[in-house]
Amino acid sequence: MKTVFSYAKPYKGYIIFALLLMLLELTVELMQPFVIAKIVDDGIVAGDQERIIQLGILLMGLSVIALLSGITNSYYASHVSQSFSFDLRRVLYGRVQSFSLATFNKFPASALITRLTSDITLVQQVLFMGLRIMLRAPLLVIGSMVMAFVLNAKLAVYLVIVFPVLLLFLYVMVLKGVAHFGYVQKRLDRVNRLIQENLQAVRLIKAYLRGNYEASRFSSVAGSLKVDTVKAFRIMEVVLPVLLFGMNLSLLAVLWFGASHIQTGSAQIGELVAIVNYAMRMTGAFSMFSFIIMAFARAKASSERIEEVLLAEDSREKEEKGETQASRRGEVVFENVSFTYPGTTREVLKNISFRMKPNEKLAIMGATGSGKTSLLQLIPRFYDAVDGAVLVHGHDVKSWSLQALRKTIGVVPQQSLLFTGTISDNLSWGKEQAEQEELAHAAAKAQIHQTVERFPKGYSTRVGQKGVNLSGGQKQRLSIARALVRKPSILILDDSTSALDVKTEAALWQALDSEKATMLVVTQKIRTAKKADRILLMEEGAVSAYGTHDQLMKDSELYRQIALSQQEEEVDEYV
Amino acid sequence: MFDAIRRPFGYEPVIKKEDLKKNTAKKTERAENWQSTLLRIWKLVDEHRFLLIIVLGLVFISSALALLGPYLVGHIIDHYIVPQNFSGMGTIIAWLVAVYTGYSLTMYLQNYWMVGIAQQVIYRMRTGLFEHLQRLPVSFFDKRQHGELMSRMTNDIENVSSTLNSSFIQVFSSILTLLGTAVVMVMLSPLLTVLTLVIIPLMYVSMQWITKRTGRLYKEQQQAIGDLNGYIEETISGQKIVKAFSQEPRVMEEFLVKSERMRSTGFWAWTYAGFIPKVMNFLNNASFAIVAGVGGVLALKGSVSIGVIVIFTEYARQFTRPLNDLANQFNTILSAIAGAERVFSIMGEKEEPDDQVENADKELRGQVVFDEVSFKYEGAEEDWTIRNVSFTVNVGQTAALVGATGAGKTTIMQLLARFYDANEGEIRLDGTPIASMPRETLRKQIAFVLQDPFLFEATVMENIRYGRLDATDEEVMEAAQKANAHEFIEKLPNGYDTILSGDGSMISQGQKQLLSIARALIADPVILLLDEATSSIDTVTELKIQEALERLMKGRTSFVIAHRLNTVRQADLVMVMSMGELVESGTQQQLLTRGGMYANMLADAKL
Repeated sequence: MKTVFSYAKPYKGYIIFALLLMLLELTVELMQPFVIAKIVDDGIVAGDQERIIQLGILLMGLSVIALLSGITNSYYASHVSQSFSFDLRRVLYGRVQSFSLATFNKFPASALITRLTSDITLVQQVLFMGLRIMLRAPLLVIGSMVMAFVLNAKLAVYLVIVFPVLLLFLYVMVLKGVAHFGYVQKRLDRVNRLIQENLQAVRLIKAYLRGNYEASRFSSVAGSLKVDTVKAFRIMEVVLPVLLFGMNLSLLAVLWFGASHIQTGSAQIGELVAIVNYAMRMTGAFSMFSFIIMAFARAKASSERIEEVLLAEDSREKEEKGETQASRRGEVVFENVSFTYPGTTREVLKNISFRMKPNEKLAIMGATGSGKTSLLQLIPRFYDAVDGAVLVHGHDVKSWSLQALRKTIGVVPQQSLLFTGTISDNLSWGKEQAEQEELAHAAAKAQIHQTVERFPKGYSTRVGQKGVNLSGGQKQRLSIARALVRKPSILILDDSTSALDVKTEAALWQALDSEKATMLVVTQKIRTAKKADRILLMEEGAVSAYGTHDQLMKDSELYRQIALSQQEEEVDEYV
Repeated sequence: MFDAIRRPFGYEPVIKKEDLKKNTAKKTERAENWQSTLLRIWKLVDEHRFLLIIVLGLVFISSALALLGPYLVGHIIDHYIVPQNFSGMGTIIAWLVAVYTGYSLTMYLQNYWMVGIAQQVIYRMRTGLFEHLQRLPVSFFDKRQHGELMSRMTNDIENVSSTLNSSFIQVFSSILTLLGTAVVMVMLSPLLTVLTLVIIPLMYVSMQWITKRTGRLYKEQQQAIGDLNGYIEETISGQKIVKAFSQEPRVMEEFLVKSERMRSTGFWAWTYAGFIPKVMNFLNNASFAIVAGVGGVLALKGSVSIGVIVIFTEYARQFTRPLNDLANQFNTILSAIAGAERVFSIMGEKEEPDDQVENADKELRGQVVFDEVSFKYEGAEEDWTIRNVSFTVNVGQTAALVGATGAGKTTIMQLLARFYDANEGEIRLDGTPIASMPRETLRKQIAFVLQDPFLFEATVMENIRYGRLDATDEEVMEAAQKANAHEFIEKLPNGYDTILSGDGSMISQGQKQLLSIARALIADPVILLLDEATSSIDTVTELKIQEALERLMKGRTSFVIAHRLNTVRQADLVMVMSMGELVESGTQQQLLTRGGMYANMLADAKL
């Protein structure tokens, strides 16, 4: 909880001010029974009407002060808690953005989403309450206690006898609550994940008619969320009745023993009355306690979850240092590279070496699961090689600043993902300040410009989750255009033309030919591979063959096999 | 100075003065909205009527006991302590012990059961919303952001949840306490009661001023949360792309804009909401002062006793506390309504048009006829996606759809699976229009291998079994073998029991496709739709599964989208699409001899 609340530090001044206002308000309130005691003792018993009216006006004035400080407190408390959560969200989101993929993958996406919204909101609520009422209740209790002692210590003692027991009880309940609310948030993760899955797989679920099946899966997940929530709340609901019972018993003790004190003359009636009044106020404050305890337990559970992300160890060294200005020559070199995904044991790349000169084209082929995508991921340093070195532009990728490295690389992933926004927005991911012409130029190369022009809104057409229905091939071409916009010196195409028809694909390759970039292309098609300077054939994570088409046709049994599988039609096997 | 009040800490006012004024016309509509929202929640709560009555009974008892306590305390002061005559006080104290025990007990029990009811209601809302989502047409999801919908399922429902947990009991007990206290107060001193009641109109006016603002602000706030959630979901799911393009700063910037909107709406909502207890407190204190002052004077004249004043001030507090609580609850109820409205607005979305009961038991054989079918995506301004398409595919035939990307091939398949309904024309299956057939009957007979293979976060076994839930482990493995997936599955850390993580990053895209094919193999459908089902699979592997696919397609009507001629050539019917129209169709040989578009495409490819 410490780490999370350290983000409230910049607002220390505001916090103190808000707390002072709250204290002022509280003081005013605490003075009321005192003034009443005066009205009784000095006014009524002494028969002084003027004194009564004076004190009445005093009470009124005090109320106005309380109101003003309360209203001002509202502004400050609200500002502090909103800004605190704003900062916390920013830091947490920034932290997530800065993770290496290895660390990122440790958290399911849904768990990160819950933390960024639900968990932060819960913590924020507690801070808000803290500045307004949370301290109020304990202070009201303490204040009432002090006033009671000032009035008559002998009577007041009876109020505090039960306290140690109650405090111990509260402590135990908080511990229990934290654990249980932690479970609740975890359940919420699962609910979130299931919903996310269902939204992503709408068509699959409909095609296989699994609506009811999914609903029953959801029922069980939502059911355990319910059970855990009920359990957590029920534990918390014990707090208030027990506290009230304890307090009420002490009140009775005051009355019972107070009676004998009055008889012996060691207490006055007015004092007893006032202490009873304070005791009742304390009881009132106690009803806030259960609320606070619950909020506190929830917030603690949530901040632990937030801290889990904030404090997650990220293997990556400080990335901002390192090569930034080196020339973008475009060499790519793999030297005995081996790679294992973090947290797994299977080696997916084994001792891979190859060397690419600037503007060379390398085609990467191999069976599904042979490590093609994994190999490509090492170039923009999504992951770090376990053994060996990957050199880009003549420098080890580890010596590059990530920003500078990735700026020189255009990646077209296998699955083309577009973000909610216009086509222009999406394309300008490649280069922030790109002119409209640059976007159109890249789109033209990617063979999508004409299609975009045909949309009524052209480049302002909305795509992504809330956008228009694009075909798979259209998405792929936009994703290629996005990579081309940045005029990369290294272009990585991970089987990203699979949904294109032959004619479009041919035009695309032709357009890419003029591109000044080192290209790594994963492909299944011999015809595409043939056009590359070299072909890297992978098998089970290792290089099976490396060379030109002709060399491979001669030397590699596997390559011949692939060629054979596409042989029948020679060159025209695709439409 | 004035600006500092209008824009505290630099927050721009979210609601403008004009908005508050012109809003009167809409007021009735909004009120109706609230009413229907509350009514819907109430219906869910009402399902637990029996338990609810018990809870209310307990609330009644505990409220009565809460009144009885101070009354007895006042009695002790007036009759024993002030006259200093303590005989018999023990009996009343004993009574008080009983009252307090009962009070704590009933309070615990009412909360215990109410939490159960509330969470059951929330559970029903959640699952109800989820089930409803399952029945919504695909077009609904095209227009929504995932994270935004997720926010409704969690953040908005959470709002309702926290309100139901506490507000229900609070409101009821507040009303009871209010009434009870009023009675006791009148009995004690009618004059002082009237003085206490003076605050009620003031309370009403101030509450109106505040809730007029908070109601709106809460709505804005929930929207801002949903919006932010949507953004987070997208950028977290697409994290790899963000990284690849080093767009972290840009994403951060956009995130901050949305986060800032949440902060400023939140600031105003919370600030105004924060006024309520303060104003109520003031009114309490003011009435307290009046009662004490006036009561003191009255006591001087002997018309009330000291005990009455002491107890009356306590009652005055007890009287205003429930009012205070009510006011506070009103606020959380507003925020819950804002949440519930967003939930119910989805419930109000039109489901996939109701299924027909006729033709439910129809045995399908698989003859597919498109009769002048035209289709356009909802809200799309462009031309028809599919225009005037007619064709017949007979039982057991394989039809290959070819054409440029965006020609409408996938759309044809989606229309056949009734993800969307045609705008014009008719699609018939074995002579029956599919529009008059229950979707269930239709889809039961279709296996669809989609362009983007999707895997659930579940074991490999469960993912394949998704095709037919009652398939045995052996059947699953058999299907995996046929799809040439068995080998790589065996190499996974836990074989078939390996849990595939959310984005399936453990296995390659091609392997995902193999699993999707295995899933279709196990479904054993009448009609098979393969949309680029093997696009990421290498050709050697593809050859290996070709046989399985051919066996699968044998005797079934199949539609295939593929760019590999190998696949196309084996089709009984090749259909060439261009810009939403079916340009030509026939066997490969027919098309080649005709020398039309298909022949041209092949010629182009040869260049």
